[in-house]
Amino acid sequence: MSHPLPLSTGHHLPVAGSRHEPLYAVGARFESADAILAAASHLKEEGFSCFESYTPYPVHGLAEAMRLPKSILSFLVLVGGISAVLIALSMELIPTMFLYPLVVDGKPTNLSALPQFLPITVALTLMISAVTAVFGMILLGGMPRLNNPIFAWDLFQRGASRSFFLSVEARDAKFSVASVTELLEGLGAGDITAIHLEASEETPKPDHEV
Amino acid sequence: MSTLSTTAEQVSAQDQRSVLEPDLSAIARPPQVLNNRGPHWVTDAVCSIVEGKTPLWWYVGITISGTFAAIGGACILYMIVTGVGVWGSNSPCFWAWDITNFIFWVSMAHAGSLISAMLFLTRQKWSISISRSAEAMTVFAIMCAGVYPAIHIGRVWFVWFLFPVPNNYGMWPNFSSPLLWDVFAVTSYLTVSSLFWFAGMIPDLAVLRDRATTKIRKFAYGIVSLGWLGTARQWRHFEMMYVLLAGITSVLVVTVTTIVASDCATSVVPGWHATIFPFYFMVGAVYSGSASVLTLLIPLRLAYPQLKDLITPSHLDKVAKLLLLTGSCVGYVYVFELFTAWYSANPFERGAFWERFTGGYSWYAITCLSINLTIPQLFWFKKVRSCLPVAFVLAILCNVGMWFERFMIVTTSLIRDFIPSSWGNFHATPVDILTATGTVGIFFTLFLLFIRFVPIVNMSELKAALPGSQPHHGTTEGGDH
Repeated sequence: MSHPLPLSTGHHLPVAGSRHEPLYAVGARFESADAILAAASHLKEEGFSCFESYTPYPVHGLAEAMRLPKSILSFLVLVGGISAVLIALSMELIPTMFLYPLVVDGKPTNLSALPQFLPITVALTLMISAVTAVFGMILLGGMPRLNNPIFAWDLFQRGASRSFFLSVEARDAKFSVASVTELLEGLGAGDITAIHLEASEETPKPDHEV
Repeated sequence: MSTLSTTAEQVSAQDQRSVLEPDLSAIARPPQVLNNRGPHWVTDAVCSIVEGKTPLWWYVGITISGTFAAIGGACILYMIVTGVGVWGSNSPCFWAWDITNFIFWVSMAHAGSLISAMLFLTRQKWSISISRSAEAMTVFAIMCAGVYPAIHIGRVWFVWFLFPVPNNYGMWPNFSSPLLWDVFAVTSYLTVSSLFWFAGMIPDLAVLRDRATTKIRKFAYGIVSLGWLGTARQWRHFEMMYVLLAGITSVLVVTVTTIVASDCATSVVPGWHATIFPFYFMVGAVYSGSASVLTLLIPLRLAYPQLKDLITPSHLDKVAKLLLLTGSCVGYVYVFELFTAWYSANPFERGAFWERFTGGYSWYAITCLSINLTIPQLFWFKKVRSCLPVAFVLAILCNVGMWFERFMIVTTSLIRDFIPSSWGNFHATPVDILTATGTVGIFFTLFLLFIRFVPIVNMSELKAALPGSQPHHGTTEGGDH
């Protein structure tokens, strides 16, 4: 296996995951929404780009502090909605006008009868827009992803519903364990931990832990 | 998300004593969560319902409701293998308990969507703690409604005729028929409300995953939470999705009832042929739905005392007011319908209403009117609204009244139309009755499963709205947007 991540073991932080696997990120825990917002702003100002904040509920201003762009989901839903209108109208009009003109109650089978095709168009548009919104959210949010390196960090697993976490990934250009640790300590973070990848199943576990 | 109301709540909680004491106390909103409970308490209280030991009443409840559901299922099977003749439906009463129950259930669903979607869009933060259970009620009620359209056509194996499937016969459905509109409306309503309910639950399911102690739970909640981490990116898309879905659902609430009402209103049957029907069905829907919310939440608070700080008397009071408002609208429509029948000078319209109140089925109309015109009006009194056992009983009565209303509209209009030679009667058979109680069983079975396995309060949204949960304003840029 080739690892793009450094096999950094020369630090004194508590370790999550397997010490023999590459370092994934340095994680830290914050106690309040204010603290994580300040930390995220600071990291962004310092020029970090590969860091992530994990909060138990949406913290207002955090995405702005991390300079995340506006979600493109609304645009996707617009596209989904417009295509739904076209799909619904062609589904109704092509059979009614060309394939199987069915005259009931003397109702016309051409475009002059457009209003009678609107209820189904509205229903389908709403349905397809909603499906786009939900699946768009799931895919844009990087889901479904049932495993994640940060799950190696036991404290995160136990505390994600309570505390605010932040991880600075090792692939960041400005990353070094010492500087990130110092920076996070300065921001009032607790439980700063080096998160290594977990031992993959093919790799046999070492006989003795270091 | 609304920072305005959050600010108001923060102000009311924190600065009340110092700065704005005399003025704000009068207009301050009731607290979201009583007893100053914090976010950790909310998480523990909600998760404890799922993580704790299954109470005995749950087993008793699901045994009873499951039995009814199974009997209902057996009746449906019997109906399918024998034919719709096992129901009382007959010429000229082609629609009877099947469509009555369909409309009853699909209407009940509406209050859930209204509470979770419309109140979210209008930033009524109080609705957060009850929105999840109201949405669950919506999804399960639509499922119960969905039992009927497929089986009432008689030959169930031809149900695919309802969908525009290209086929060897070169045959297509009639797109100008309200009955087909109905198929699409109910399908999209079920899809959208299920998605809204599930997608809103993903962060809370992730909480259960993180707290899981056994491997099976970890695996199951891990799968359904899709790997949610709560990153800033995920929340950004999630919040956008929530607003979009709330908007979509709000529109859907109105269109679905309108389309269901069109089933009746676009026909020429006296008693159905009225332009007020969409509004009639809409207010009736929210009325019966609010009654169901009360019926479900009042016992739920009793069963899980920790919910008493989350689902507060103020919530139930507001739902009761919603019931009063929509119940009064329903009463207005009854009076207006009678006025229209008289004022139209149409002998058939007049005859239909005369028959409705004096004919062989008059006791349906009289029960319906005496309940729906009087019971909601009792909710004008604060004592009635705040006395929960009374409110519970009255809410059940409201739903009974609404069932009678649906029956009155559907059946008594059909059995007396233009020509006396085509008049008829309707008598419910045991299969009719047991299928109907079967849907009640399905509803409660699903709701009991919901209580046991899913967080019944939207924890993440509630925690985000608690006083002090958001960063203080003015300290960082982008704090208020």
